[in-house]
Amino acid sequence: MLEILIHGAVSSAIYAMLAVGFTLIFGVARVLNLAHGSFYALGAYGAYYFTSHFHMPLLPAALLAIGLVALFGVFVEKVLVRPMRRSQLAVLMITLAVALVVEQALFLTFGSEYRNVPEFVSRKFTIGGVDVGGQRLLALAVSVILIGLLWIFIQRTRLGSAILAVSQDPEAASYMGIPSDRIFSIVMALSAALAAAAGVLAGPFLTVQPTMWLLPIVKAFAIVIVGGLGSIPGSILAALMLGYAETIVGYTISTSWTEIVSVAATLLMLVFRPAGMFGKRAAF
Amino acid sequence: MFGKRIDFVGAVVFVAFMAALPLIFGGNYLIGVLTVSVIYGIWAVSWDFMSGLTGRENFGHSLFIGVGAYTAGFLNTKFGLNGWWSLPASMIVATVFALIIGVPTLRLRGPYFALAMLSGAVIMQRLMLIFWEQTGGEEGINGIEPLIRSQLGFYYFALATLVATTALLLALARSHWGLILRAIRGDEATCQAAGINVTYYKIASLVISAAFAGAGGALYAHYQLQVSPQLFAIVTSITIITMVYVGGMASIYGPVGGAILLLLLTELLRDFGEWRLMVYSCTLILILFFLPNGLIAPTWRRMKTLLAGPK
Repeated sequence: MLEILIHGAVSSAIYAMLAVGFTLIFGVARVLNLAHGSFYALGAYGAYYFTSHFHMPLLPAALLAIGLVALFGVFVEKVLVRPMRRSQLAVLMITLAVALVVEQALFLTFGSEYRNVPEFVSRKFTIGGVDVGGQRLLALAVSVILIGLLWIFIQRTRLGSAILAVSQDPEAASYMGIPSDRIFSIVMALSAALAAAAGVLAGPFLTVQPTMWLLPIVKAFAIVIVGGLGSIPGSILAALMLGYAETIVGYTISTSWTEIVSVAATLLMLVFRPAGMFGKRAAF
Repeated sequence: MFGKRIDFVGAVVFVAFMAALPLIFGGNYLIGVLTVSVIYGIWAVSWDFMSGLTGRENFGHSLFIGVGAYTAGFLNTKFGLNGWWSLPASMIVATVFALIIGVPTLRLRGPYFALAMLSGAVIMQRLMLIFWEQTGGEEGINGIEPLIRSQLGFYYFALATLVATTALLLALARSHWGLILRAIRGDEATCQAAGINVTYYKIASLVISAAFAGAGGALYAHYQLQVSPQLFAIVTSITIITMVYVGGMASIYGPVGGAILLLLLTELLRDFGEWRLMVYSCTLILILFFLPNGLIAPTWRRMKTLLAGPK
C-alpha cells in the first residue's frame, strides 16, 4: 500500500514536469509541441554525455544540459515554429520533424543501446518498511520545488503576469506593450528546461535510448487532455491521477497493462468531457 | 475538357511506364523496390484522401497499415485462410479502428485527432509487444503465404490496386463529396451553418482512408511474407506524410508520384544506410519551408498549361 503511494507519487511528479511544460507552451503560444519529448530525451543524454565524455561532476553537467536544451527550445521556437505559426498543422508537422531529427541524431551519435545516466543519490532509503531509491525521492522533491517555483513565477512576478496576459489574449497584450514574440521564446525555454530536468532526474531509473521521446509525449498528451489543454492546475491533478492509476494497475494487474491506462483515460475524456477537467475553452 | 484528356493521357503514360520498367531493366531487386514503392503509393493516396482534403492531419496512419497487415498475418497463418481473404478482412478491421478513434476525436475542433492517432499507433505497437504470445512479439508473424507466386505477377497486381485506388479516390475527391471535404478544410463553421453534417463527412473520409491503408497493409504483409510491430512505427507515418508533401497535398495523384520518387531516391541513398531517416526528416522540414505546395502536382499543372498552349 505504502509502496503504491510512494512510487505513484514519483511517477506523478515526472509526468507533472513533462505535462506542465507541454500545456504551458500550448496555453501561451497555442503551439502543440511534439518535440517536447525530445527535450526530455536531450536532457537525459546531455547529462550522460557531459559526465561520461568530459568527466564533469554531475551537478554542473546536469545544469549545463538543462541550459543547452532550453537554448535549443528557443532555437526551435524562433527559427522553425514561428514562421509556421499561422497554421496549427504546419506547427505539428515541423515539431514532429524536429523530434525525428533529434531521435536520428541521437541514434547516429550514441547508437540504440541503453545509456546510464549517473545518479545524484545512490543510496536507498527505507520509509515505513518500503525500500525506495534515493534518486526517485530526489526526483519527487525537485519536481515539487520546480513546479512550485514556476507557479510563483507566473502568479507573482511582472514577467509572469505578462505571460498570463499573452495566454489570455495575445493581441490585447501586444496593445499593452507586451512583446508577445519574446514571451513565446521565454515560455519555450521554460518548458524545454522543465522537460530536460525531468530527463536528467528520471534518466537513472528509466531507459535512456533514442526513442525515449515517444512515450512521454503520449503520456503528456493524455494528461493534458484529462486536465484540460492549457491549464496548469489541471495538468498537475491529471498527472497525479495518471501516475497513481498506472502504479495501481502495475501492482494489481501487470506492469504491461500500464500503457493502456493513459489511452483509456484519453478516449473516455474525449467522449464525455472533451474540454478536460479544467479546460477553459470548450473544444466544440 | 482538354485538361481532362491530358490528365488521362498522362496517367496512361505513367502506368505504362511503371509497367514497362521491370520488363526493360529486369531483375528481382528492381521489381522488389517497385512493388514496395507502389504499396507506399497506396498508403500515401489514402492518407491524402482524408488528411489532404479535410486538413485534419493523421499522424498515425501506420495504425491502419499495421492492423491491416496483422489481420492478413493472423488469418493466413493462424486460421489458414486463403490469402485472398486478407484484402477484404483487413479493410474491415481497419474500418473498425477508424471508427473507434474517429468518432470521439473528429467531432472535436482542435488538434485532438492528430494526437489521438499518434498515440493510437504508439500504443498498438506496444500492445503487439505486450501480447507477444499471440502476436509473436518483436519477431511478429512469419510464414505468410504469397498471394501470387510470380514476383512480377504480384507487382502487376499491386500496380493495378494502386491504379484502382487512385482512380476511385480521385473520382470521389472530384465529386460533390470531395467538394464538401475541401470546404471543411476551408471553414468548418460555415459548412456547419450551411447544414452539412461535418462530423459525418470527416468520419466517413477517415473510414475510406483507413480501409485502403489496411488493404495496402495486407498487400505488404503478403509481399514481405511476415509482419512485425515495426509496421506501427511513427516513422512509417512520417515517411508517408513526407511523400504526400513532396507530391502535393490534396491532389490525390501527386502523392503517388511522391511515394515512387522518394522510394527510388532512397534506394540510391542506400549507401547512407542509417542516415536514410535523417534525410527524410530533413527533406520534410525543407519542403515545409520552401515548397509548401509540393513538387509533383504543381509541376504537372505547369506542364499541362504548357501543353495546352496559348489560348
